[in-house]
Amino acid sequence: MSFARLTRILRSASFRLTLFYAVLFVASAGALFATVYWTATAAMQNDMAAVLRTEAYQLAEVHGRLGLGGLGQQITRRMNFRTRGPIFYLLQAPNRRVVVGNLPGMPPVEGVVDFVPQSDPPEPDTEPSKLTGFGLTLPDGSFLLVAQDADRLTEMQHAIVRAFVWAGGLTLLLAIAGGALIASSFLRRIDTITRTSRAIMEGDLSARIPVRGTHDEIDQLVSSLNAMLGRIQQLMDGLRQVSSDIAHDLRTPLGRLRQHLEDARERAKTTADYDAATDAAIEEADALLETFSALLRIAQVEAGAQRRGFTDVDLSELVRSVGEAYQPAAEDSEHRLTYKVDDGIHLTGDRQLLAQMISNLVENALRHTQAGSTVSLALRKASAGFEIEMADNGPGIPESEHERVFDRFYRLDQSRSTAGSGLGLALVKAIAGLHGLTIRLEDRKPGLGVVVAG
Amino acid sequence: MKILLVEDDKQTADYIAKGLREHSHVVDHADNGRDGLYLATGEKYDVMIVDRMLPAMDGLSLVKAARASNVRTPVLFLTTMGGVDDRVTGLEAGGDDYLVKPFAFAELLARVGALARRPPMVAATSLAVADLEMDLLARTVTRAGRRIELLAQEFKILEYLLRHAGEVVTRTMLLEKVWDFHFDPKTNIVETHISRLRSKIDKAFDKPLLHTVRGAGYVIRAPD
Repeated sequence: MSFARLTRILRSASFRLTLFYAVLFVASAGALFATVYWTATAAMQNDMAAVLRTEAYQLAEVHGRLGLGGLGQQITRRMNFRTRGPIFYLLQAPNRRVVVGNLPGMPPVEGVVDFVPQSDPPEPDTEPSKLTGFGLTLPDGSFLLVAQDADRLTEMQHAIVRAFVWAGGLTLLLAIAGGALIASSFLRRIDTITRTSRAIMEGDLSARIPVRGTHDEIDQLVSSLNAMLGRIQQLMDGLRQVSSDIAHDLRTPLGRLRQHLEDARERAKTTADYDAATDAAIEEADALLETFSALLRIAQVEAGAQRRGFTDVDLSELVRSVGEAYQPAAEDSEHRLTYKVDDGIHLTGDRQLLAQMISNLVENALRHTQAGSTVSLALRKASAGFEIEMADNGPGIPESEHERVFDRFYRLDQSRSTAGSGLGLALVKAIAGLHGLTIRLEDRKPGLGVVVAG
Repeated sequence: MKILLVEDDKQTADYIAKGLREHSHVVDHADNGRDGLYLATGEKYDVMIVDRMLPAMDGLSLVKAARASNVRTPVLFLTTMGGVDDRVTGLEAGGDDYLVKPFAFAELLARVGALARRPPMVAATSLAVADLEMDLLARTVTRAGRRIELLAQEFKILEYLLRHAGEVVTRTMLLEKVWDFHFDPKTNIVETHISRLRSKIDKAFDKPLLHTVRGAGYVIRAPD
């Protein structure tokens, strides 16, 4: 593990989080320690005090029965035959003379007392240990002290401290090691994401971040990042496609526009000639503007901004009104246009765009079928929703071309000569996509069926 | 008519102002939103033509501010093409109509005319031009007392034309008002409906009432 890598691990968010929790744990363990320490100490001190008090009162009772001399004998006996731990005694006459005992004389005290006995003369080789005693002044003015070594208490306190230091230290160590481990694993995965995004920035739009398959948060993040990259690539491809389409497909009408203007400039002899040439130029310019407008509209629809303005649309009314609108035009071009509409079909969407979608389907059918053909528009309830169907009995579209007819500027060879920008169905597809509708082409043998289902 | 034009593109502004003056209108021009609002609130106009994108203050804010200071002058918004939401936001801000750039001048002229002479909002129950009468309650049409049967969309076209009798009504206006289509169909649906309407109301009579104005649209008017 290099130094730089270690630094990165120490600075990583996951490591810091682990460390934070470890410190929090140690702090709470410290609080627990303090509670245990003080409770245990107090309990032990109470215990010791109770033993000493009992001993002192027993001896006071002996004093009441046998007097100072009898008590002295009793204490001497107890000092000699004591088996359960060392107990220290001190019996002082009222004049402070030590009657009996294994402790140096001292001023009388009452009740529990902690003290270090001062040897007289001091014994240099033995370290004086801390004692806990219970002092009692007897009725005749003499003083009795019973004491016990406090080492047991100190030892217990030390044991508690040791246990906590070890456990706390080990926990902290494990936490730091675990944190480093988790951090390094996360860093590895983040590094992969960073590397992939670098690759994409350098131009490899197809690069994707590998998914581990653990379905954890990072996997979810990676999946949505990949989905986003896919969408970006799709948009970029679209953009690239549009630019080259525009370059190719607008060159011809622009050339024609120039030609009309040149005609007006060079060849017009009469006002009528001049008018005809400028009219032709205006028509050409209008067609170009219309193409641009359609391209912009497709781009806008694909960007999906209109979803904000979606409202409830009565699709039945809309399909009927489009059918009605096209009826006379269809008759004039010697087509039979029929429409059949189920009532009460609604959709949340943009009425204008839906109207244009249905109109484009009708126009497409009218334009690409010969005089005498029947084109039929239908809206009907389907198992999962509804279907808008535009069917004709014209020449149809070869199966192999079904996908491509929705591309911008795509036109079948047989329809190169008819008017149209080649954008109508691309817009239909964009509008359907915006509304979450699907489009399929069906071969009706003869004829074509376009079904928009929602 | 006195018209306020707020448009920052000099070429477009000159083109519109020149055309309107040729049709005997008086035109005041402002090339930014602030000056436009100053004129709109200070002077009295019959119609305002306001571009959506303006320096200093955009067209929407201008119209909102003018409406807030109680200026009731009809507003025609000019928008750039492709803005699908523009129509709705423009109407919400207090605009009365909108036109997508680039446009034919005849279209602008017809719309300005229609806005300036907007009929008062009284509920008329019948409309008439010469001997052609429309009963809006019974939804019947007669000419010289003879009953004429119209289809629903033909009735709506005739109603719109009669409401604007004597004014030019463009193809786009009909698409918007009769069908609520705010896009340009490639098929001549307006022309074919007009032709059927014409054969019903004019064919059997001496004097035609429904006229085509070349390069502009249609007009219904009494014979001279």
